[in-house]
Amino acid sequence: MGQIRLTDLTKRFGDTVAVDDLSLDIDDEEFLVLVGPSGCGKSTTLRMLAGLETPTSGDIYIGGDHMNYRVPQNRDIAMVFQDYALYPHMTVRQNIRFGLEEEEGYTSEERDERVVEVAETLGIADLLDRKPDELSGGQQQRVALGRAIVRDPEVFLMDEPLSNLDAKLRAEMRTELQNLQDQLAVTTVYVTHNQTEAMTMADRIAVMDDGELQQVASPFECYHEPNNLFVAEFIGEPMINLIRGTRSESTFVGEHFSYPLDADVLESVGGREDLVLGIRPEDIEVVDATTDDTAADDALGDHELRMDVTVVEPHGDQNVLHLSHPDQPSADDALQAVTAGMHLVTRGDRVTVTIPPDKIHVFDAETGTAVHNRRHDQEADFTQLEQ
Amino acid sequence: MSQSSSTGSFDVASLVEDVNLRRVAQYALVVFFLGFFLVPLETGIMTAIKTNESVARSLPFAPPVGEGFTLGNIQFALEQLSGSFFNSLIMSIPATIGSVLFGSMAAYGLTMVNWRAQMGMLMLFVVGVFVPYQAVLVPLARFWNNIFPLARMLEPMVASIPFFQGYHAELVPLVITHIAYGIPICTILFRSYYQSLPNSLVEAGKIDGASITKIYRRVILPISKPMFGVVFIYQFTQIYNEFLFAFTLVTGSDAPAAPVTLVLPAIGASTSGIDFGIRMSAAFLAAVPTLILYVAFAEQFAKGLRTEA
Amino acid sequence: MARLTLDDVTKVYTDEGGGDIVAVEEISLDIDDGEFLVLVGPSGCGKSTTLRMMAGLETVTEGELRLEDRVLNGVSAQDRDIAMVFQSYALYPHKSVRGNMSFGLEESTDLPDDEIRQRVEETTDMLGISDLLDRKPGQLSGGQQQRVALGRAIVRDPEVFLMDEPLSNLDAKLRAEMRTELQRLQGELGVTTVYVTHDQTEAMTMGDRVAVLDDGELQQVGTPLDCYHRPNNLFVAGFIGEPSMNFFDGSLSGDTFRGDGFDYPLSGATRDQLGGASGLTLGIRPEDVTVGERRSGQRTFDAEVVVVEPQGNENTVHLRFVDGDEGTQFTATTTGQSRVEAGDRTTVSFPEDAIHLFDGETGDALKNRELPSNRAIDAFVSN
Repeated sequence: MGQIRLTDLTKRFGDTVAVDDLSLDIDDEEFLVLVGPSGCGKSTTLRMLAGLETPTSGDIYIGGDHMNYRVPQNRDIAMVFQDYALYPHMTVRQNIRFGLEEEEGYTSEERDERVVEVAETLGIADLLDRKPDELSGGQQQRVALGRAIVRDPEVFLMDEPLSNLDAKLRAEMRTELQNLQDQLAVTTVYVTHNQTEAMTMADRIAVMDDGELQQVASPFECYHEPNNLFVAEFIGEPMINLIRGTRSESTFVGEHFSYPLDADVLESVGGREDLVLGIRPEDIEVVDATTDDTAADDALGDHELRMDVTVVEPHGDQNVLHLSHPDQPSADDALQAVTAGMHLVTRGDRVTVTIPPDKIHVFDAETGTAVHNRRHDQEADFTQLEQ
Repeated sequence: MSQSSSTGSFDVASLVEDVNLRRVAQYALVVFFLGFFLVPLETGIMTAIKTNESVARSLPFAPPVGEGFTLGNIQFALEQLSGSFFNSLIMSIPATIGSVLFGSMAAYGLTMVNWRAQMGMLMLFVVGVFVPYQAVLVPLARFWNNIFPLARMLEPMVASIPFFQGYHAELVPLVITHIAYGIPICTILFRSYYQSLPNSLVEAGKIDGASITKIYRRVILPISKPMFGVVFIYQFTQIYNEFLFAFTLVTGSDAPAAPVTLVLPAIGASTSGIDFGIRMSAAFLAAVPTLILYVAFAEQFAKGLRTEA
Repeated sequence: MARLTLDDVTKVYTDEGGGDIVAVEEISLDIDDGEFLVLVGPSGCGKSTTLRMMAGLETVTEGELRLEDRVLNGVSAQDRDIAMVFQSYALYPHKSVRGNMSFGLEESTDLPDDEIRQRVEETTDMLGISDLLDRKPGQLSGGQQQRVALGRAIVRDPEVFLMDEPLSNLDAKLRAEMRTELQRLQGELGVTTVYVTHDQTEAMTMGDRVAVLDDGELQQVGTPLDCYHRPNNLFVAGFIGEPSMNFFDGSLSGDTFRGDGFDYPLSGATRDQLGGASGLTLGIRPEDVTVGERRSGQRTFDAEVVVVEPQGNENTVHLRFVDGDEGTQFTATTTGQSRVEAGDRTTVSFPEDAIHLFDGETGDALKNRELPSNRAIDAFVSN
């Protein structure tokens, strides 16, 4: 079985702690994505799983067996490298066959058959006699995948395999990889710095920062119920809006506006004073201001404010607006909001912005921990299904 | 100035247009250096095919005229050298192969595999490059003649091999010495090449289940071909042209096992002085194997240099 | 003034066998002063080659390249008053940040040292890297190196900026931030900019106009939304937009489009726009596919959910027609809160005003999406 257990795993390089006390349980057949910014320790963790680095302390178990002192050759794992690492002097066929040579229980003919089988699954059967330098990036990537699949290992390890591909190809391969993993039902640990890959492919996401595990949860949970500021900022594109401020009685006071907090939020906040208010761009409601008469500011509701549009990014299906406060048109945008593709705004427009109270997140400004996450009604917005 | 695609017709006007002083100066410089390097070579060839009188009377780089032309020098040199050619080749080729192969393996082990005390080992190799020939001559002679007389031990065995004579056993210690002496520099050369290879190749091999040796044999060795070309040419030239070790272990130009380098100084010398014609012919003949090697491996050499850069 | 004009610019290479490779074929572009134009297309489409011809790093085989009235074809790169940001940044590794940024000014202008120093400091202030002036490139992060590369171009105050995929070596998050910043910077500086990328998101969000290339040929030039809502052909429609537009091949039978697994009735108005084409491709963007709402009608079909990709704020749902081929899948975008799962059966609708129809053979667009008549929108969409 391919379940993985990491207990208190630590890796030090001299004085730098690359991985700090990481504990993680991965189920058999699960697709787990290790995600985080450069230098967060995700690749190091993967390499320790592969046996290419030895842990400084802590334990690694694959399928229940203790792996710390086992060489990569004996771990029954397969890996897809970022640069594919195809053997340049061998044909595609030989590249894929290489790993099979060490596997017992196959005759030579059976090995040949298996290579063709895998090549057909990946759609590269017609490339079998070519050398890597005659292939495109996408084709090379499939060969690298084939080399991993052919050995039928307990665990797949993937180190940013899509990062060298064109944007469009990347999107296609994402779906294909997911389908493949589903079919093959092999435990997969996938490393990336791209949160979109993490969100779309993972059964669960493990977010890392500076060697430490921040949160392990389903994509949905990481997005809607982040543990802390880091996860909230890292997951989600465009990034969540964060506004620093303090609590005064039952009001959140930021630099440019005040925001009354609901009872349940206040309950979670307790006695904390320094807070960070978070709201995702797609939850902000934007309405064109009918007048820019400042007297009309009184007509604003509790959760509304006036802002100016500084940058408009059209994506076609939606628009990302960069907004700043009228009295502080600095280079740092205060908020980003997402509007529907047909809802068009121009740079310089003044708009009325609503921050719905049921969609805010509140974080402790000192520790960064999430104190209150947005409400999401499990039943609301439920797409009607016909069974 | 608009760019026109090639039409095949010769455009004198544009040719003249491209001529400028800088270009002329550049070409003049090139021609000068060409001359600088080629004239000595040409002189040598000319001397080789001249009679003695012609050598004395004509300018060194002038071609021989009429009766001054002779192939006799070359014939004579060839007869004198034929035995030693054989000796040189059966000594240099195994020695080169040995030092290059071991150098490659050592570089692999020191660069692409991780283990403790690696750096210390590497330092030893680097130090080995700098040991001067002269410093080890006496101990070397003592070792091969007194402490471990391998040549004498192998003599009967070597004599029984077809085409070989007993005295050829004297070359075996020479081969071994050259291999040992050549390993450090070959290791260093290969190391820089292996450093430029992505580590992920070895890692992928490990994950595929291959042992370190198998990775060397199936993955690294095949990719090292360009580098092999380079190091082989370099080592062969070093070993083939080497004099000191050969002199120490084979002793004397009249020894039947003498390689070419030992015989060359004696050729053409007689009581009446040095016969330049013969000397030159001999020199060129001696250079032929190296020349052939360069021509054969030229492409590999260039590829290997490119990879290193 | 810095209007850059390409007039039927062509680039032909000769390959090893002596044959011709046409990398760029007769591209004509008029880039306005101060415009941010993005050259976008897949790998090998000729966008980098076109940029390099503008820079003077490649010669123009045929056609003319002009900056205002000055013909640039034979002019060496040093004399073009153009600054370039490379994908690999190409910073001088042995020079400090200050040295890197001063180099261009020292070599190509007669400015006194104090003025050079001042300009460098102004630029680093603008980019927020003033505290890095004395560091070497090897001591900088990827994002910082990128700013230095930008700064090196900005400080020369050129007529044109050329940028060759400058963001592709950055982390995803950093890339999104730099996108906004680059846009802002260009807006402030007002310098004509030509930007090359394979990422259509960068093209859409940053460009004043977008030029889509494929296989050396210009497919369409227009505002981002123009290319999005009114693509000229199948290629542009499929390239612009993420997730990609769904395409269904089929044929016209009377007033109905017969696709694989579904029949789609066309209104008279739509039918009129098709001309004589019989083989057609129907296109619809994922966000226009409505999932699961209780609708009945001829443009609603039974579908099965194959895969759901959660993005957080929305889901990309991969579906297949119940009556169709298993291999033919299409995507729809639903809100992030909806709980659709693989294996669910549901209905999908393709509203007629949202579909595109393309000629089955040539790929040309015959009918594009109808936009709600709104003058503000039309102003955005048309050039």
